[in-house]
Formats: sequence, C-alpha cells, structure tokens
Amino acid sequence: MAAAAAGSLRRAGWRLWRGRAGLRCQLYPPQRALHASAVLRRASDEKKEPLASSPQQQFDSPPADPQPDHEPQGPRSSYTGQGGQESEDYESEEQLQHRILTAALEFVPEHGWTAEAIAEGAKTLGLSGAAAGMFHNDGSELILHFVSQCNTKLSDLLEQEQKQVQLGKTEKKPTDQFLRDALEARLRMLIPYIEKWPQAVSILLLPHNIPSSLNLLTSMIDDILHYAGDQSTDFNWYTRRAVLTGIYNTTELVMMQDSSPDFEETWRFLENRIADAMNMDNTAKQVQSTGQALAQGLMGAAVTITNLTGLNQRR
Amino acid sequence: MAAAAALAPALRRSLGRPRGGLGGVPRPWPASGGAPRLRSTAASLDGINRAVVDRIIRVDHAGEYGANRIYAGQMAVLGRSTAGPVIQQMWNQEKDHLKKFNELMIAYRVRPTVLLPFWNVAGFVLGAGSALLGKKGAMACTVAVEESISDHYNNQIRTLMEEDPEKYKELLQIIKQFRDDEREHHDIGLEHDAEGAPAYSVLKTVIQLGCKTAIFLSERI
Repeated sequence: MAAAAAGSLRRAGWRLWRGRAGLRCQLYPPQRALHASAVLRRASDEKKEPLASSPQQQFDSPPADPQPDHEPQGPRSSYTGQGGQESEDYESEEQLQHRILTAALEFVPEHGWTAEAIAEGAKTLGLSGAAAGMFHNDGSELILHFVSQCNTKLSDLLEQEQKQVQLGKTEKKPTDQFLRDALEARLRMLIPYIEKWPQAVSILLLPHNIPSSLNLLTSMIDDILHYAGDQSTDFNWYTRRAVLTGIYNTTELVMMQDSSPDFEETWRFLENRIADAMNMDNTAKQVQSTGQALAQGLMGAAVTITNLTGLNQRR
Repeated sequence: MAAAAALAPALRRSLGRPRGGLGGVPRPWPASGGAPRLRSTAASLDGINRAVVDRIIRVDHAGEYGANRIYAGQMAVLGRSTAGPVIQQMWNQEKDHLKKFNELMIAYRVRPTVLLPFWNVAGFVLGAGSALLGKKGAMACTVAVEESISDHYNNQIRTLMEEDPEKYKELLQIIKQFRDDEREHHDIGLEHDAEGAPAYSVLKTVIQLGCKTAIFLSERI
C-alpha cells in the first residue's frame, strides 16, 4: 500500500522532491528498508519517493549510498523523538537496533523474549514503542543479540585471563579446570534470565534461526578451545568441539530445571561431564596400546605358523 | 565415541602407522594443554581476507596431508626396491610441508577439512595402488599429482597477488617455495621414466581429475 502510494506520488512528487533536496536528512543504507521506513519515518513520508524511484535497491542493502546527490549528514532529529539522545553524529540502523535490544534486556524477566520487552526497551531510549516493529514478532533478534553479547563477554574474559597468565600473575590452569570455569562463566550469564530461557531455546531452534544460533554456538566453543590451548590440526579438531558442544548443551538443559541454591547441581553435573570426557581420553589411550600389543601378538603368531609349516621356505 | 575408539585400532592395523586423522585414536582433550597463543603474537589476523586465507590454508593442508599418505603408500610397496630412496626423499620434503601448514593452520585459526580421514585412506590406497603397477606406475602417479598441485599453488599465488602482495608476503613466500619443491618432484618423476608406465595418459588423466575433485571439496568442506 505504501508502494502504491509512493508510485502514484512518484511522478507528481519527483520535481517537488528535487526542490526539497536541500532539506532532507541523510539516508543510510537500509537493512530492512520497508520495516524501518514504515515505523520510524511516519513524519517524513516524502522520503519514500527517492527510495521508490530506485525500487530494485529498496530490498538490497546497497554498499554505497544510492542517492545521486550525496549530501553531508544533517542531524537526525526526527528519529529520536522527544529529548533522549539527540546525537549529532551519524548512527547506523544497526547501532540503533543494538541500543534498543540492549535496553530491552532488562524487561525480559518480566515480559519474556517478546516484542513487548523490545517495545519497553525502545521507550526507555525515548523512542516510540512501535519501534519494536523493526524486529520479528517472535523475539528472535533479541535472543540472538543476547547470546552474541554473552559470547563477546566470554571472549573478553578469556582474553583477560590469558593475559594474566602471560604476565605471570596467575598460574596456568589444567585443561579440565579451565574448561569447567569457562563453561560455568558462560552459563552464569543466563542466571538473570533463567526463568524465560526455555522459551529462548525453543525460539532459537526455529528453522529460520538455526543458521545464526548454530553459528554463535560454534564460534563460542571454538573460542573456548582456542584459549584452552587446543592445537589440533586433524580430525580431533572436530571431535573436541563436538564433545564440548554436547557438554555445554546438556549442562544448559540441566540448569533450566535446577532449583538448588546457586545452581550447585548444575556445576556438579558439569564437573562430572568434563571428568567423563577426560576419562574418555585415557580410555582411548589404553585402547590404542592394547590394540598395538594385540597387533604385535598376531604378527608374531603368523610368523611362527609360517615357520612351523615351512611356508616361508624358498624352493 | 566408543564406536570410534573401537574402530580406530582396526583401521590402524590396516594402515600401518598413520598420523592423526581417523587412523589416530580420537583424543578428546589436549594432553598438556599447549600454550595458548596471544593474539598479538599469532599471525596478524586483522586486515586480511579471512575467507580467502581460510580456504587456501585448509586446502593446502589437506593437499600436503594427502601427498604424505600417497608417498607412504608408495613406500609400503616399493620401499625396498631401487626407487625406495628417491621416494623416501620426496616423502621427507612433503613431511616438512605438512609441518609448515600445521603451524600456519594454528596461527591463522583455520579449521581442517572434515574429509581428512577420507584423504588418509584414499591417499594411501592411491600410492599403494600406483606402486603395485611398478616403479614407473608410482612415478606416473607422482608426476600427475605434483603437476596438479603446482598448478593449484600457481592459482593461489595469483589470487593472493591480486589481493595484496604486501599483506600476504610470508604466505606468498611459503607457497612459492612449496610450488618450486613440487615442480622438482614432478621433474624427478619424469626423469625416472614415468611416461613408460602402463596406460600413462589414462592414469594421469584419472589421477588429475581426482586431485581436482579433492581440491574442490577440501576448500569448501
């Protein structure tokens, strides 16, 4: 409907727009042009005309500004509404979304991972609650944003720890201890939201979210193992990551049903799983040496038999 | 995990002593937790085209790993013949190449290809199979593989040069050096009468097709 209106205005308004070129605000390359423009640019309908005039660019995020006459940015007063942060500098849509989602997190315990939480978050930034329309209805972006934030925090934590060890201020932890602490630190970030976390997990498992959530999960596990000092360059690379991912997921599930004080049961579960994984390593070594011994035994037996039966005699 | 651990010894027996891959028993955790590298001392990861470098290192690592296994297969059959020392020497150079790529893989945090266990077996089978055709067969296989690999390295050198010769200087140097080594192996193969092998042209075409497929898959998977 907006497109039809824009289309009809296109011819009539084109000259009008050209005349107003000097007054319009800077347009940023829209990520989801229609969503953003529909919600936040109520007051500036004419802006849709330049977008409609290049329809094929409406749905891409063009790398360069599509507008022919590129102007220096003016203040974006129409977006931030009343008071709030009237930033003089350029804020991309992504940064704005980040700010809204971060603000929305404090409303999650109350409203869950929903558009209401996002709307509340937007309101604290001085934006209209309709800003939640920028995002999907199911709260996917909020959850992904939260997970991404947690992973970044974990990375920073591990990096700090590594620096401490490098500077000699702390002792290097043994592997199982390191993994246990890293996973515990990461899972503790869920504690404030643990009530609503099952909802988040089920949303993350939706087909359209799986690529992103899988991506976040694998990069987090990769980070943890990197800082743990994993230097495998063979199939062990995959084995280790698979095992650690399994441990993380099961511990997360246990945590969601845990009602013990400060989640003691969860940390004990985690400790046991990591001990299991370490045991697996020892068992694997034992199997290897047993296999070797067996092989030697069989070879010896084969040689003995060929000697006894005279099969190795050359005629 | 139990299945893998049980399968591993059987595979190891049949393959001799392969290093890593599925031939090695899967080890969940690093035994002593090697020193984690500080970002600043690792290869500088900023400003480089991660996607391109990722692919290059992954496929080269897989290639050297496969070449290693091919020579191992050839040595298993021809180790005690007159061609033994020549093959052993080429094998040693490939081992050095593999070591270098292991280091690069760790420095650039590149993941190895999932198909490593497969290349483990396929490489050995190719080496042993071509060696069963005789010395000339083994040399023909060497010529085919080394030609594929040097073309492949040349492509990579071209790609990196187009990107930014300055930024990728060490990587370019390494690849150039290795390309020269592989060319040398190719020439050694020809010297030892590779062209006299049975069905030389067919053999060469088939092997080179296999190499192209391996390169395509290892870059992506």
